[in-house]
Amino acid sequence: MDIKEKFTKVIKANEGLIYKITTLYTDGTQDGKDLYQEIVYQLWKSFNTYKEQSKLSTWMYRVALNTAIFHLKQTKKRVDTIPFELEMERMTEEGDNAGEERIKILYEHIQHLNLLEKGIILLYLEGKSHEEIAEIVGISTSNVGTKISRIKEKLKSQIKNNDNYGT
Amino acid sequence: MELEELKSAWGELDKRVKKQDILNRQIIERMTKDQYQNNLKKIALPEYVGTIICYLGAAYLSVNIPKIEEPLIQFFGAITIALLLILPIISLQSVRAVRKANPSSYTYLEAIQVFGKQKIKFQKLQKLNVSLGLFLMVIGIPVLAEIQGKDLSQFPLFWTLYFPIGVAFFLGFAYWVLNYYNKALKATEKMLGEING
Repeated sequence: MDIKEKFTKVIKANEGLIYKITTLYTDGTQDGKDLYQEIVYQLWKSFNTYKEQSKLSTWMYRVALNTAIFHLKQTKKRVDTIPFELEMERMTEEGDNAGEERIKILYEHIQHLNLLEKGIILLYLEGKSHEEIAEIVGISTSNVGTKISRIKEKLKSQIKNNDNYGT
Repeated sequence: MELEELKSAWGELDKRVKKQDILNRQIIERMTKDQYQNNLKKIALPEYVGTIICYLGAAYLSVNIPKIEEPLIQFFGAITIALLLILPIISLQSVRAVRKANPSSYTYLEAIQVFGKQKIKFQKLQKLNVSLGLFLMVIGIPVLAEIQGKDLSQFPLFWTLYFPIGVAFFLGFAYWVLNYYNKALKATEKMLGEING
């Protein structure tokens, strides 16, 4: 299989991953589109150098998350990008209202975490093992466990405060 | 809402994304053919254009500086040329630092640390750049006037009103900018402190 074809297949299979990182690390549709393209571009740039020592998803998460970090610096400098239909708004308009509300709450609470916590909780929610999170983030497996417990506590208290405030 | 509920909400989002055709093959094709111009390249372009303008300005002043007779204005002229040569270097340096970052070579934690350090460096350079840029505006006026053959002393209000207003504006704006960047610097340092702590 041609490398471009292989890459296209990999990207199509992992669109959800890129989409979720994009929405978590940006605050607007246009900026989200920019980051989305930037992630695909960076993945393509390093696709040749990807060595199959680590899992494909581990490599993808690492490049995508790191690209999101470096993109933070540029968010205020808007530039035109190639026409691209990323239907962020439609995505949340579809489906049941309760589900939509839960996703909104989840995003809102994650936004209050610091960058390290945000990355860890994203990987946790994605169902990654502690070992894989440790490999992507660059901390020890035991540290991953400690951090996840702390983040859970933090999120719980945030959600509790929010619920109390809301009722 | 419990965390497990949040996890299931997250899973729901995944299902919805799978239903959508977010990135079409045509766009991926364009990226693989290097037709996609990444944001950084586009951001660097105005910096290069700015550099050319500054260097043209420095060349213009260098050619015309012999026309200046007043020693103080000559001194201002020399400083203006130096600033026009130095400012673009500072600006390009900060863009180059961001460009050098290769997302695939870092772990997530390293990326945050590199990003934080770059941001601090960038903010410090911006502070310097804005202050020097405003200073350049103030001292550039008498230099250009002298080259154009305009005697500023013929404008009675220049030294008594316009120039002091310019300086006051410069000081006020510099204070505001420095304050803004100091706050931004503190926020970045706090972020790094939290990560490393």
